Amino acid sequence: MYAKEMVKQSLPLIVMCGLGAIVAGSTLGLMTDLFESIPGLIVVIPAIIAMRGNISTALGSRLGSAYHLGVIDADNLWNDELKQNVIGSFVLSFLVSITVGILAFITTILFYKFSIDVGILAVKLISVVIIAGIISGLILTLLTIGIIYLVFKRGYDPDNITGPALATFGDMITMACIFGSAVLLEVIF
Amino acid sequence: MIYNWKKIVKHGLPLLFVAVIIEIFAGQILQGNRSLLVAMPIFLISIPVVNSVAGNIGSVLGARLASGLHVGYIKNDIKDKEMQYNLLISLLIGFISYFVLAIVIYYVALFSNLVEDIALIKFIALLVITGFLLICVVALVSVFTAFISFKRGLDPDDMVAPVVTTVGDAMGIVFLFVIIGIFGVGI
Repeated sequence: MYAKEMVKQSLPLIVMCGLGAIVAGSTLGLMTDLFESIPGLIVVIPAIIAMRGNISTALGSRLGSAYHLGVIDADNLWNDELKQNVIGSFVLSFLVSITVGILAFITTILFYKFSIDVGILAVKLISVVIIAGIISGLILTLLTIGIIYLVFKRGYDPDNITGPALATFGDMITMACIFGSAVLLEVIF
Repeated sequence: MIYNWKKIVKHGLPLLFVAVIIEIFAGQILQGNRSLLVAMPIFLISIPVVNSVAGNIGSVLGARLASGLHVGYIKNDIKDKEMQYNLLISLLIGFISYFVLAIVIYYVALFSNLVEDIALIKFIALLVITGFLLICVVALVSVFTAFISFKRGLDPDDMVAPVVTTVGDAMGIVFLFVIIGIFGVGI
């Protein structure tokens, strides 16, 4: 019977990720005014968080495998294999961000009536998603590489560390980026 | 050269597009309930938490099942005792996590002056019931995704996490509003 072991190993990590999610949720709590002034902004939130989580955990687990395969290590980190991985993640972030922005815009104008000009809303919503997607992608990619580097140096298995670490920081950083880019666009327009 | 960015994009895009469509649906449910969320931001704080716990538990369960299937100590069978045991422990871990986090959320909201008229006990009950329902669904989705992908010769390690987090996000938001409705909060 290893129930105790499982609870002991998983529970602290899951609660810790939950605490990270509370920080992300509190950022959402600060955005109530923005949700009123940009219809559809709330629609993009689950999608961007999910996109970020998927792309960066995939990057983390690919780099973990690359380490096990011996193609990257602490002394030879910034090589062509790593660059291909980073470029791949960025292109994915960009394409998926645009899709999220467009889908959120179309579904919002279909389902809801609001007073703001449709053209301005399209520009606002799609730019918020792209800016937030790219900036959070940049920060999380650097963070992933940093974590991988530290993990290599200490000789741990990256597969056990990158997933939970990225899940905890990912939501917080992504929410902060959405908040930041929404505030920025409200100032510009 | 093992990695190529074009391949990474080509392999990643289809699953991400499907995930995004489901997440936009979840987002529209949030939009529909916007006035409740703006009036009671404690639920806004709760949404990432509900989704994070369920996503993590589903992914951990999936990873454990995947290892078991690969190594052979879990059989591809609904009646497998080892699988059922893992599933039950996941439910237990989920229950404890939601209970602890509900208390933290309540006090975070209290100190940010966001708690309107909901008592601690009621909030804990609401969140734990939502979370427990969600974990049941997510754990089952995790088991089926792991079993079906293994049967078809796909690696469950690649399949379970994205499927579970996407289904978990959408169902989490649905369950939260259903339970809020049943509790009659904020009306």
